[in-house]
Amino acid sequence: MAYDELFNPTEEHRMLREMVADFTANEVEPQAAEFDAKGVLNVPLFRQLGELGLLGITVPEEDGGAGLDAVAAVIVHHELSKSDPGFCLAYLAHSMLFVNNFAQSANAEQKARVLPKVISGEWIGGMGMTEPGAGTDVIGMTTTAVLDGEHYVMNGTKTYITNGCEGFCFLVYAKVDGRITTFLVDRDCPGFTTSHHIDKLGMRGSTMSELIFEDCRVPVANVIGEVGGGLTHMMRNLELERLTLAAMSVGIADRCVEIMVRHGQERVAFGTPINRFGQIQRYIADGYAATEAAKCLTYNVAKDVGPHNRNRIGSDAAKLFAAPVGKNVADWAMQVMGGSGYCREYPVERLWRDAKLLEIGGGTLESHQKNLTKDLSRLAPVT
Amino acid sequence: MNIGVCAKISPHADARIKIKSDGSGVDTKGEKLVVGDYDEYAVEEAIRTKEAHKGAVTAFTVGATSDEKLVRSGALALGVDKAVLISDDAAVNAGPLGTAKLLAAAIKEAGCEIVFTGKAATDDGNSQVSAMIAELLGWAQVSQVTKFAIEGTSFTATRAMDAGVLQIVSGSLPVVITCEDGLNDPRYPKLPDIMKAKRKPLSKIGAGDLGLADVAATSSESNFAPPPPRPASRIIEGDAASAAQELVRLLREEAKVI
Ligand SMILES: Cc1cc2nc3c(=O)[nH]c(=O)nc-3n(C[C@H](O)[C@H](O)[C@H](O)COP(=O)(O)OP(=O)(O)OC[C@H]3O[C@@H](n4cnc5c(N)ncnc54)[C@H](O)[C@@H]3O)c2cc1C
Repeated sequence: MAYDELFNPTEEHRMLREMVADFTANEVEPQAAEFDAKGVLNVPLFRQLGELGLLGITVPEEDGGAGLDAVAAVIVHHELSKSDPGFCLAYLAHSMLFVNNFAQSANAEQKARVLPKVISGEWIGGMGMTEPGAGTDVIGMTTTAVLDGEHYVMNGTKTYITNGCEGFCFLVYAKVDGRITTFLVDRDCPGFTTSHHIDKLGMRGSTMSELIFEDCRVPVANVIGEVGGGLTHMMRNLELERLTLAAMSVGIADRCVEIMVRHGQERVAFGTPINRFGQIQRYIADGYAATEAAKCLTYNVAKDVGPHNRNRIGSDAAKLFAAPVGKNVADWAMQVMGGSGYCREYPVERLWRDAKLLEIGGGTLESHQKNLTKDLSRLAPVT
Repeated sequence: MNIGVCAKISPHADARIKIKSDGSGVDTKGEKLVVGDYDEYAVEEAIRTKEAHKGAVTAFTVGATSDEKLVRSGALALGVDKAVLISDDAAVNAGPLGTAKLLAAAIKEAGCEIVFTGKAATDDGNSQVSAMIAELLGWAQVSQVTKFAIEGTSFTATRAMDAGVLQIVSGSLPVVITCEDGLNDPRYPKLPDIMKAKRKPLSKIGAGDLGLADVAATSSESNFAPPPPRPASRIIEGDAASAAQELVRLLREEAKVI
């Protein structure tokens, strides 16, 4: 029972999980291999997430969202990633990196202008933090914005931006007099373009591109919060981003355990199902144990992540632990499947390619190690 | 329009059915319970009818008190407006006719003009209750409906008969519409509706509240047993031509099916 309380703390969470699990099995799974091969986002399917009310999951009800918490966000990423982590990454970039962040930081006029369109899925959104010269070292960004009458003039380039190809609107971090500030930039801003689609190993159900600002004119009305408030927005949102990325890894691992358990019984070698071999048992049992541990940590941290709770230690720890679990369990599932695991006919090789991203995107493993050491030392200073 | 729908909570179609050790019935402990498959079509059609003609939908369930949350997730979260759960010992053990009496009484009390039901429950597959409700209410019933429309107080329903033959039945309300596979594509619950489900009215009543405290099963069930285990499969060796010959021989002489 305690198990269920951790993963489905309320009836709404349980119903949400069942709905997303059904939707994933019936609608997401059948298209995953095709969109992985094509390397494009399934936009009609993405808009269905809007019809289901999932795109504004953490937005307060008074702003037109579902008003749910980080646990609910974790549930959606966990379930979607059992079938299509790439598609889920587009959902994350839109709903967590754009919508959640925007709803927390924008003013009433901005919310009225933008939220209905991004909650319905009419506009696809994304977030631009990383630059060609500044990833982990995000403070070292060089994109600038200079006030000129009713506009800011923005110059610089963001890269590896998920939903860059399909997106209409983006939250973009740029420096105003050296202070990181959040802007809403959309396709109507003159001087804003996106590059070609940047091809990648996995997560191919979502796209990424550069966001290019060449004397891009962004209306003053599109400054989100205060000038200089960007760092707070960024740090606050990174917690939910890391947590939901951890949940994606848990989804990948869960699916891979299921595949191993099944294949171990079905596949016969030397006259016996391969799950009689100790080496195979180790993959299955270690995979299961690691998955459960990652799941418990992720959901436990989710209880303490929210707009008014800062929990960088928890969210960094969840992603640091869960990301390699997804990658390793996918690897073990491929090993258990042998040659078939390496073939496109089965989902394991796709999940294996997708899983690696979680050790890089939204913060590398090393950045989590750096943050955790800093934060834990701060909590227990040696005077 | 005052619309009713009967929704029974039963094990999920993928559940592995276990028989209680004393053979008195099916053990649903630990099984995933849901609104039955055919009843899902009924719920969907009831909601679509409301969306097209205004009004409200009430779900009626005879079942355990613990079915409440499943009625909320399987009916209220989809857009049904309120629910009546008839759930005391008398109700749970009422048998098909008793269940129909309870449902008919509750439907009458609610003042419904039309009631949707599923072709059969996913668990016992009795297919009795819908016809009995219609009889008890003195209403028409159309069974195995695969297409349905209402205009004013008249309805047109298409029935799927054997061998792909369709029959079109029309008439006037009130009516019991018994839903068949293919009638519609049941929706996923939308998140805002999930959030509202908890706040929607659900009244839990007993058989006595409907004046039917003495409703009792007119038949009893016993000696439940699982189907015999399937014999192990046999692999016929050899080249295609001789294997085919051997297969035909086995089908004719041993299995005696051709
Ligand atoms: C598929 C995908 C989608 C993405 N989507 C987005 C998006 O939507 N929006 C966005 O803004 N960004 C996005 N990114 C970018 C992503 O967040 C960055 O790639 C990530 O933060 C790492 O930055 P970097 O690539 O510049 O690597 P670098 O920062 O150059 O790191 C290179 C290596 O050096 C290590 N390193 C760096 N600094 C330190 C240090 N101080 N101590 C120890 N080791 C260090 C890193 O851990 C890593 O191993 C995406 C990336 C990918 C691959």
